[in-house]
Amino acid sequence: MKVEEAPNPLAEGLHDYRVADPAVMVIFGATGDLSGRKLLPALYNLARQRSLPAGFAVLGAAMSDLTDDAFRKMASEKIHQFSRTQPIDERVLAPLLDLLFYVKVDFSQQDEFRKLGRKLQELDDARHTTGNRIFYCATPPQTYSLIAQQLMAAGLHAGKGFHRIVVEKPFGTDLQSARELTQTLQKAFPEDAVFRIDHYLGKETVQNILAFRFANSIFEPVWNANLIDSVQITIAEEIGIENRGRYYDTAGALRDIVQNHGLQLVTLTAMEPPLAFEAGAVRDEKVKVLRSIRPLIGEDIEQSTVRGQHTSGWVLGQQVVGYREEKDVAPDSQTETFAALRLFVDNWRWAGVPFYIRAGKRMPKRVTEIRIQFKRPPHLTFGREAMKEVDPNAITLRIQPEEGISLKFGAKVPSAGLRIRSVTMDFQYVTSFLVEAPEAYERLLLDCMIGDPTLFTRADEVEAAWMLIDPIENKWRSGRPPLAMYPAGTWGPDEATQLLKADGREWHRP
Amino acid sequence: MWHGEGVTVADVLGALGDIRYRFARAEAGDSEHLHPRNCVMTLIGIAPTEAHEVVAKRTTQAIGMQHPAQAIVIREEAPIRRRHLDAWITTDVRRPEMACAVECELITLHVRGKAADHLGALLDPLLVSGVPTYLWWLGTPPFGKRELLDALRVSDGLVVDSAQFDEPYRTFRRMASMLKVAHHRMGLADLQWSRLRPWRESIAQFFTPGDRRAFLGGISELGVDYAGDGRGNRIAASLITGWIASALGWKLRRATAGAGGVVAAMYQAGGRSVEVNFRSVPQNDRVPGEVSAVRIAGAAGGTTFRLSVMHDPPRPRDTSGSSYEWDRRRGDTERVLLTLIEIGGGEPLRHLQQLEPEDEAALLVELLSTGTHDEVYNRSLAAASDLVESI
Repeated sequence: MKVEEAPNPLAEGLHDYRVADPAVMVIFGATGDLSGRKLLPALYNLARQRSLPAGFAVLGAAMSDLTDDAFRKMASEKIHQFSRTQPIDERVLAPLLDLLFYVKVDFSQQDEFRKLGRKLQELDDARHTTGNRIFYCATPPQTYSLIAQQLMAAGLHAGKGFHRIVVEKPFGTDLQSARELTQTLQKAFPEDAVFRIDHYLGKETVQNILAFRFANSIFEPVWNANLIDSVQITIAEEIGIENRGRYYDTAGALRDIVQNHGLQLVTLTAMEPPLAFEAGAVRDEKVKVLRSIRPLIGEDIEQSTVRGQHTSGWVLGQQVVGYREEKDVAPDSQTETFAALRLFVDNWRWAGVPFYIRAGKRMPKRVTEIRIQFKRPPHLTFGREAMKEVDPNAITLRIQPEEGISLKFGAKVPSAGLRIRSVTMDFQYVTSFLVEAPEAYERLLLDCMIGDPTLFTRADEVEAAWMLIDPIENKWRSGRPPLAMYPAGTWGPDEATQLLKADGREWHRP
Repeated sequence: MWHGEGVTVADVLGALGDIRYRFARAEAGDSEHLHPRNCVMTLIGIAPTEAHEVVAKRTTQAIGMQHPAQAIVIREEAPIRRRHLDAWITTDVRRPEMACAVECELITLHVRGKAADHLGALLDPLLVSGVPTYLWWLGTPPFGKRELLDALRVSDGLVVDSAQFDEPYRTFRRMASMLKVAHHRMGLADLQWSRLRPWRESIAQFFTPGDRRAFLGGISELGVDYAGDGRGNRIAASLITGWIASALGWKLRRATAGAGGVVAAMYQAGGRSVEVNFRSVPQNDRVPGEVSAVRIAGAAGGTTFRLSVMHDPPRPRDTSGSSYEWDRRRGDTERVLLTLIEIGGGEPLRHLQQLEPEDEAALLVELLSTGTHDEVYNRSLAAASDLVESI
């Protein structure tokens, strides 16, 4: 049984003070894109916030033959290029670079993992890290299993101190591959030491969905099928596939966005209040939602889903090519760049309330939002004429880019007569707080160092999501429903409009 | 900018309403609804002198450029003229990339005569409803006096800087006494406490790993170096000591002050004693009263430990000369905190951290982002006050 440690009395009252035990973070793929763009800049910003504990060190591990100094030079360049805070404070950067070390590791060579082990031992001794290790796989997903196996074979997966492994989404490409990955990881590491990063959950505004719902007493009483008509989730990107054709053409919008981000937003919107904001309770409630979603099978899939692909068009004033003309994309590709789904959460709270999700590329603008559409009032006290310009109440949770929340309600137009018009009450993050929001990776790296998995995806959550997506994916691969084309710069194909129109509803224009 | 001499609060309110409407109308354009007005807080700066007024305005404007707030700066002037209230309203507009423009308002009031004793009545109509009101008293607040108590009536928190008190020894004790009788809603925040935050973080951090937690019960020595040597310069050192003592349940047994700024105190921690020593170090490039090093040593489970946190290198001081006493912390950007950790034998582990500049705006933002209610500060203040009284 795990014994809870008493809190450090000297940490009391230090707001936002979250400090991990000293550890060595091994970054596999340290010379790669994720490391350079996200991890190293996030570590710099953590150092800037004084969040890295004394003794903390980073051990870069990759195929390139680099010295410590060459790795530090590369890290410095990447941090200068990609840090969210600029200009770079050299007085913060210099001590951080001193904490970076490098070892060449060929993932297929067992000996090289032993060499890695010797280097880790050296750092442990010199930096009082007492065997604490975090293995971050900033590598392609197909290497996760190999790295876990090699760590186990070299005896680096266990011992004194904590041993955690971090992997990035996608967690498999379907249910079977996700299960295989889980099994491999769990052979070497217990589930509570496996940190599956979906950086979306590290975003402040995503976490704020929970704060909005459960830190306020006025919303929960109306957050159910009695008053809510429907929920719309839009995850739109104006960009195309950005040189990721080889990956994207085998994935598509359903796997790339809906399976993770889309369903994450559904779970956060629909979940019951967790007992506490802690890993077990939050993730239990999320899994319950996923298991309550009515699976789409057979004919349901044709009636409740839309798959689309963009053709050429104009986005933000620029002419763009169609998906099939992109690099590394098959000229007759059937991969969707747009997906829309109608889902039902079959539980007491949400019975009969449709959740519409749409995600797409080359849409008019980048926007992610959740719109809670309320029902109309049961009786028109002011008459039909006075109310004709009034929409039903709606709460919009904007995730990006204008992070905030707006409430739409009716108000009397100042005049002698009685006319009601819809107005909005807006809350915007950027204008309401005295502190800057950290980048998602900063939050998640620190959580991982501290050992808080609340914002990481658990194995059963991954599997529950794939169980919903797999039947749709399989049906789509058989060509049903047919791929619907839409011009770049629009909100998707007409079929998506029809999906809601058939229910007497329409998409909200974000 | 709007300016009125010999005006009433109603005149100021009328002018404010007009400014707000014109801003909202201009931002909305012809066809849009007026955007909602955002405001994070009302920050009231009480400026006893012209120099303080300059600092208060500069600071509130700097905060306002990042956070939509209403700032009120009040300066009490000698009643040489009959008019009792002159007012100025200036606004700064900020246009974030991804949101509506926001306006930060600065209302400056010069108050004369008895109105200055009734600040609550003067301020109440000007406060923004539904957001916290913080009273920042620059210089030395008149603890126990009517004008402070009246202003506190409409405030959620009082912000002071104990590093800037005249007669710091006496004022610090008066402040601690006030906290004992203040109403429960009132928060007290101290910029000096905010300056100590990096020190507290570094010390707390050392004891955070589970295998070092036992060291907390094995501390036998605490040493604090401070700049200057008068008893008024020992406030920050006492706050650090009070913080550790109150967090770990140490009881003060005795304390004496010797020549050259040396202080020796003995605390009882369970069944053992902890020796506390303050050492005065030459001011050189430091601000009087500033902490320059904290050392903690002890043993637990057969392992000895020593933690040293210190400024490194010594901070260069801005010697260009400033016209205001208040400005003595300016130019203070080369701030590095060095932590040395020794556990058992072996080489000490060095950890360097860069500290942010200690300008008032940054300190206030950090302090106000979490509010002014800080039980840890209150406990530390009480324990520090006990120590200060004993020496």
